[in-house]
Amino acid sequence: MSGIPHDHYEPKTRVEKWLHSRLPVVSLLYDTLFIPTPKNLNWMWIWGIVLVFCLVLQIVTGIVLVMHYTPHVDLAFASIEHIMRDVNGGHMLRYLHMNGASLFFVAVYVHMFRGLYYGSYKAPREITWIIGMLIYLCMMATGFLGYVLPWGQMSFWGATVITGLFGALPFIGEPLQTWLLGGPAVDNATLNRFFSLHYLLPFVIAGLVIVHVWAFHTTGNNNPTGVEVRRTSKAEAAKDTLPFWPYFVIKDLFALAVVLVVFFAIVGFMPNYLGHPDNYIEANPLVTPSHIVPEWYYLPFYAILRAFTSDVWAVMFVNFITGGIIDAKAFGVLAMFGAIIVMVFVPWLDTSSVRSGRYRPMFKWWFALLVIDFLVLMWCGAMPAEPPYSTIALIGSTYWFAYFLVILPLLGVIEKPATPPATIEEDFNAHYAGAETPPPYIAPKASE
Amino acid sequence: MICKSTLSAALAALLMTLGQPLLAQDSGDAGAEGGSAAAEEQRGEDDGAAAAAVPSEEAVEEADIDDVTTEDIPQEGVDLDATVPETSSGPVEAGSTDEMEEHAPAEGADHGDEHGDDHGEDGDHGHGAAHIENVRFPFDGPFGRYDQFQLQRGLQIYTEICAACHGLKHVAIRTLQDEGGVGLPEDQVRAYAGQFEVFDPEIDDFRPATPNDKFPESNLETAPDLSLMAKARAGFHGPYGLGINQLLYGIGGPEYIVAILTGYTGETREQAGTTFYENTAFPGGWIAMAPPLQGEDIEFADGHDNSLQHEAEDVAAFLMWAAEPKMMARKQAGLVAVAFLGLFAVLLYLTNKRLWSPHKYGRKPEA
Repeated sequence: MSGIPHDHYEPKTRVEKWLHSRLPVVSLLYDTLFIPTPKNLNWMWIWGIVLVFCLVLQIVTGIVLVMHYTPHVDLAFASIEHIMRDVNGGHMLRYLHMNGASLFFVAVYVHMFRGLYYGSYKAPREITWIIGMLIYLCMMATGFLGYVLPWGQMSFWGATVITGLFGALPFIGEPLQTWLLGGPAVDNATLNRFFSLHYLLPFVIAGLVIVHVWAFHTTGNNNPTGVEVRRTSKAEAAKDTLPFWPYFVIKDLFALAVVLVVFFAIVGFMPNYLGHPDNYIEANPLVTPSHIVPEWYYLPFYAILRAFTSDVWAVMFVNFITGGIIDAKAFGVLAMFGAIIVMVFVPWLDTSSVRSGRYRPMFKWWFALLVIDFLVLMWCGAMPAEPPYSTIALIGSTYWFAYFLVILPLLGVIEKPATPPATIEEDFNAHYAGAETPPPYIAPKASE
Repeated sequence: MICKSTLSAALAALLMTLGQPLLAQDSGDAGAEGGSAAAEEQRGEDDGAAAAAVPSEEAVEEADIDDVTTEDIPQEGVDLDATVPETSSGPVEAGSTDEMEEHAPAEGADHGDEHGDDHGEDGDHGHGAAHIENVRFPFDGPFGRYDQFQLQRGLQIYTEICAACHGLKHVAIRTLQDEGGVGLPEDQVRAYAGQFEVFDPEIDDFRPATPNDKFPESNLETAPDLSLMAKARAGFHGPYGLGINQLLYGIGGPEYIVAILTGYTGETREQAGTTFYENTAFPGGWIAMAPPLQGEDIEFADGHDNSLQHEAEDVAAFLMWAAEPKMMARKQAGLVAVAFLGLFAVLLYLTNKRLWSPHKYGRKPEA
């Protein structure tokens, strides 16, 4: 499967040969597990495992929760309380599922920003990146649908606000919203279809994850230098890489265990920290919460949605040239989706010849600013839409788009990148050269 | 039993000492209260099972529902508009829902305006009028445990006072018997259940409740159900709306309840035929609920302190249990998981180090 030359599976016994000629499943597992992996991967490369763990955790806990949950507007809230109070271990399952979603998004954001910094999206890994973005979109949808199921106040009003976004789109908006909701407003039909889709989408994600892994197993992993593994011979490739098992499996499991210590501390000691208290009030269509806030992981994009009010000149301009078809609300919706979709195109927006941000002196600072921008937008999303937050959100949103649409393309032209090391081996040895002994065990012959 | 309770009291005292520097912003007053509370608790606990506070027949009769209603509950019955226009200064985020919940909902049209208005005041997260003081509950922190006797006192207060208007519709009466909670003996639970009447669709009539029934729902439409109240309010938001102080003090639900119960100033005002009571903790400052506790409302069987602050803390602790009956099991599971995963992480770290060592430093693995 991999383009990096390495040993392939050879069936030896008769049974293995019999199976291999009919279904080469052992070969597939072998190649997946022993894929040559750049040996200089740093700790930012552990989040993939965390994400796989999250997906499995969410599916397993979710399937059990469904056995006790009732998707009906009159019964859903009480059925959650039934899970919390009467089902054996139900409170743990539910808190694991709730906080599992948060861990999932923490991991996916670090994973994405890692990709953005080390240029993992660049050729030849565009497909891996785009599939990753599709997974992220499915996660956003799944998380949103799942948040509606407990049928608390924030569930109901969050659903009302978010589906209202679709209603803001010109022409197709209102029929689209009605179609999504299954009626004129959020009601039993909405709850039922959200439940159905919330169960479906994780399996779509699982399928996409397989394609995601397949894609980067074909191109090989990126690594902190952004330098490709040498592929001219098996021997040279072996100097740049180590097999995934056991080296990276054990490393990733260690990191996963550390992450889970924090995760279980939150689940055990403060499981409602990341939730909203209003969701412990049963949904009531007649009482609007004073301040509707989505889950924390949507906040940066929620801030972008609300940043473009009708007094922003760009909004006025678009409103004018489209003859009022795209008003401030529609503009905000387009900006929010645009902020995500613009990331899909980043492989072609980044014009730099150097892949890794490590060797890009100017890029580093703009990237750091992007991370800060993301956190500031997250904070703004949680605050009311009024000065000074609205102004900060507008500046933040502008920077988000400017980074992808202006700064990245320009940097490739303006910036003078440093020279990356010639090989991964060189980078790895430079890093560990300070150790007591030079590395004869793996050192290259000087003449080579 | 004594061993356990002494331990928990000692732990609470320890936590309190540790917490002192962190909680410097607490008024000295509150600190003193807390200290005496701990001492008090210990004394109470040493009295042992005597403290088990199931309302006896007389107690229930004393708390005759009509009585309480006439004295303590605004009779108006109540179609209050949620907004008290001039006074809605400084509600915190969670609170405004309060405002609307605790009063009958007005029709949708009004809410749009409120929504807009509230934004002006939401900037005050975590400070401003509705400042909530932290209270040191025995169940705070990773090692926190419910104090069984405090929950029993809280149950007594709930039964004799709160239950006149409010309900606990998600809580099954049988759970009063559960370990890690109120922990009443079975016969007392059965006797306790018997005081409530529930409607049974099978016989199409009312019958005395059994432990398998839930607590009754609210008697007043405007009195919110209290099953989840301790989780449905956040006492702390700051700094700057970041919610970081929740890491130190918890979400602040029971603290909010204490603050409401002790936050009455004594001022009242009439609006549209409804009496509103000024309350420093309530978003907007005016609440339709008459002060339910005055202090010394309840005589505890063990003679435990029944000052207003203590009663408020006891009933808030009980409502925390009602909202989160499995808290102790959860914390236990969390501790085990953290300890196990921590150990596992150390082993994996050592494995990983040894595995990589020949490739990093040229040392061959030993043996």
